[in-house]
Amino acid sequence: MNQLAENSLETRNVHVAFGGIHALSGVDITIKTGMVQGLIGPNGAGKTTLVNVLSGFQKPTRGNVVLNGKDVSGDGPQKLARAGVGRSFQAARLFQDMSVEQNLMTAAIGTGLNKADAIIRSREILDWMGLGHHGAVLGGALSYGDERRISIARALALHPKFLLLDEPASGMNAEESQNLMSIIRAIPAHFNCGVLLIEHNMEVIMGVCEHVYVVDGGRSLANGTPQEVQDNPDVRRAYLGEEDAAA
Amino acid sequence: MSNATTTPYQSFLSRHFAVLLIAACLVFIVCLVHLFGSVMVQRVVIEALIRIVIVVGIYIFTGNSGIISFGSVTFMAIAAYATGWQTCCEMLKPITMSGLPSILRDNSYPVYVSALTSVSLAALAAFVVGLILMRLGGLAASISTLAILFILNVSYSNWETVTMGTASMVGLPTYITPWIALGAALIAVVCAWVFQNSARGILLRATRADEVAAAACGVSLYWSRLIAWTLSGAVMGLAGVLTAHFLGTVSINSYFLNLTFLALAMLVVGGMKSLSGAVVGVVVVSTIVDMFRRLEAGVSLGDTTLSLPAGTQELVLAGVMIVILMFRKDGLMGGKEFCLPKRWAVVRSESVTSERNAQ
Amino acid sequence: MQNLIQIIVDAVALGSLYALVSLSIGLVFGVMRLINFAQADYITIGAYALVVPTASVSPALLLGALPFAFMAGGVVVVVVVLALLTERLAFRPMRGSDPATLLVSSFAVSYFLQHLVMLIHSGRPKSVGIGNSLSAAVEFWGIRVPGTQLLTMGVALVMLVAMVFFLKKTPMGIQMRAAAENFQMARLMGVKANRVIATAFAISGIMAAAVSLLLVVQTGTLDIRMGLMPVIFAFFATVIGGMGSLPGAALGGFIVGFVTVGLQAFLPPDLRAFRDAFVFMLVIGFLLFRPQGLIVTSAARERV
Repeated sequence: MNQLAENSLETRNVHVAFGGIHALSGVDITIKTGMVQGLIGPNGAGKTTLVNVLSGFQKPTRGNVVLNGKDVSGDGPQKLARAGVGRSFQAARLFQDMSVEQNLMTAAIGTGLNKADAIIRSREILDWMGLGHHGAVLGGALSYGDERRISIARALALHPKFLLLDEPASGMNAEESQNLMSIIRAIPAHFNCGVLLIEHNMEVIMGVCEHVYVVDGGRSLANGTPQEVQDNPDVRRAYLGEEDAAA
Repeated sequence: MSNATTTPYQSFLSRHFAVLLIAACLVFIVCLVHLFGSVMVQRVVIEALIRIVIVVGIYIFTGNSGIISFGSVTFMAIAAYATGWQTCCEMLKPITMSGLPSILRDNSYPVYVSALTSVSLAALAAFVVGLILMRLGGLAASISTLAILFILNVSYSNWETVTMGTASMVGLPTYITPWIALGAALIAVVCAWVFQNSARGILLRATRADEVAAAACGVSLYWSRLIAWTLSGAVMGLAGVLTAHFLGTVSINSYFLNLTFLALAMLVVGGMKSLSGAVVGVVVVSTIVDMFRRLEAGVSLGDTTLSLPAGTQELVLAGVMIVILMFRKDGLMGGKEFCLPKRWAVVRSESVTSERNAQ
Repeated sequence: MQNLIQIIVDAVALGSLYALVSLSIGLVFGVMRLINFAQADYITIGAYALVVPTASVSPALLLGALPFAFMAGGVVVVVVVLALLTERLAFRPMRGSDPATLLVSSFAVSYFLQHLVMLIHSGRPKSVGIGNSLSAAVEFWGIRVPGTQLLTMGVALVMLVAMVFFLKKTPMGIQMRAAAENFQMARLMGVKANRVIATAFAISGIMAAAVSLLLVVQTGTLDIRMGLMPVIFAFFATVIGGMGSLPGAALGGFIVGFVTVGLQAFLPPDLRAFRDAFVFMLVIGFLLFRPQGLIVTSAARERV
């Protein structure tokens, strides 16, 4: 049990309220290193808010965020990033007028590396992702698909223990999604970290996740293996009107 | 790709091309002026070099952080008065500035000692002010720098026993030659270049590009900004010392809104986001201002003298700045540095599909 | 007792003056994310419209020679036209730029206008005798209050009430509040950006006209920098009150006015010349503890 707490990032009964709006009403999530977990739910379910809580951008109005057994609720995003929580954004948010390499170096330096080591780490990650020749390209000059992969690479440049990916596959075609999936599958082993993948694309979720959380209306709805979740009638009901997950 | 074939020398040249080019141009111009220039031309060049120190000083903070500083010339004033207190008016000081502590009032110091202490004072003042100001968000910080400018102006204008109030301190030793001004400009330019390419500089530029994403990368807004602000304050202090010993006088109102506007105009016209932009801005705006200054003074055509009404140069300056902001927001250099054309590698990246196909 | 009443009256008068200016700044900031340095010049030019454009220090009256209603109306027209012109020519092309760019451009526009006035009127302060009769003290309940202070408070009160009514009850006002809260959303819901922004500038012009007349009546002088100090204080008032909040802007204006008068009254005489420096220092001190200002709106937070 203790070992579980040692390498985990969890939310315990987290509530987030903006004025009268309750974005999250009691959600428990545990991210463990070494595996890819998914987070799904209809639009407006509170997925991004949850990611914001886990990465320190949103302080829970109630409940705790616990990192490796330590309460970090209310720690700002910088502190959490340095403590090993990396994230990507729905809108990539690359540094437009800096090169791809400098984008990654920022994260590396952010964790305390000096410039030379930051360059080495950035090149390593870019090479691993097959983007080694993109180093000098400006952040603003990338194609859409590359932009999203680089934003993941940048989060990886933190060498995080926990990586939160916010809809990385959105807008990707089938080929790009396959490529993304193979990258995500390889992350936990290569970087010794745990991944939480927020996605609408069911194929991606089914293809890479060992375990899936479902939230709806700010509350935990279900969790289990992808197959269990897919067969869950409550989950199906929540998604009524959306495409059925392919069998 | 082809990187394996470049020598270390070539690599150094291409990485640092902008600062090397700027330095080379400045040295070249000063050599020319030294050999062929009249005293008048030398003065114009010294003035331009001092302006480069000023604008580069502001650039170190504003260019890298994206926060407009309206208060940077405050540190020029602090250094200018500090050097004035140490080097000026030996006979008159006990009378005109009786409020000074004895160590200043009753002594004079060599100019290089004075320069060093004044720049240090400016840097220290910047650090202390920065400890407070950098806790504020971007826009609030900008406006607060304006407050700093006013605080110093009000204080020094009324602190008559120490600063002679709004009266000018006259009689500082004027030792600034084109070579000294060149040295200072090179120091400023190199400092700016080294900083923006350092680890801290990269972090700060990330915060300018996207504050939120930078936070997710573990970057502390506060420390990055504070370091840049302090360095900027030091360079502004250098500019203040230069100005004081170039003009030979120090007056609080010459370090206020007009100078601030001129400096910001230069930075905006050249482009706030690059060192090359800062330098280009100084050159272009100085040329325009000088041209209109002459036109205001009068151009003789035969028997008649045509002159523009006094005050035209300011209108033109403001007009140019507004036009640039409208049509070329990132200034003439567009936020880019000077670079070797062949090595410029902004490649439109291929799509994933064609990469895969190539493999 | 007389002294205390005097201080309170001064505080309220100055506070309401600053509140008017702050509201103008806050209004334009709300709809455009622009901190308008040119507001200072709206005030200055409104005042200078009262006299004939000459370099003389005792100029003949232009609009100032008209009976009060026409004079006030004339100044309002001049300033509103100026405000709308600056919006159309200088600020509209820059809409959508980041706040730093907008800030610098309003600085440039202000510099331009300032030197335009200097070109036409010369930079020396001028004396203008308008509303001299109002400076006489009015006495009631045994207390003497200068007429100008009463006028300032009265005008400010009327305008603030009118603003509240406008923002809460009229369709345009409601649209403006919506736009200030969330501009993108308001546009999606059909709020016409051009009209809303133009209205905001027009209102800030009306307020500037009122302030310029009040300043002329109060001081009897014209100075090219007369609008600058109130507007600089108003910037801080907006920040203190909470950027993006209109009640906050007004509240901030009152606070800055109260603090200024308070310092003037209670500082030892040899420190009084440094009063403004203290005001700025207190402002910065306040921002240290509450950087987001007193009233926080959702507009102030960036969505992640």
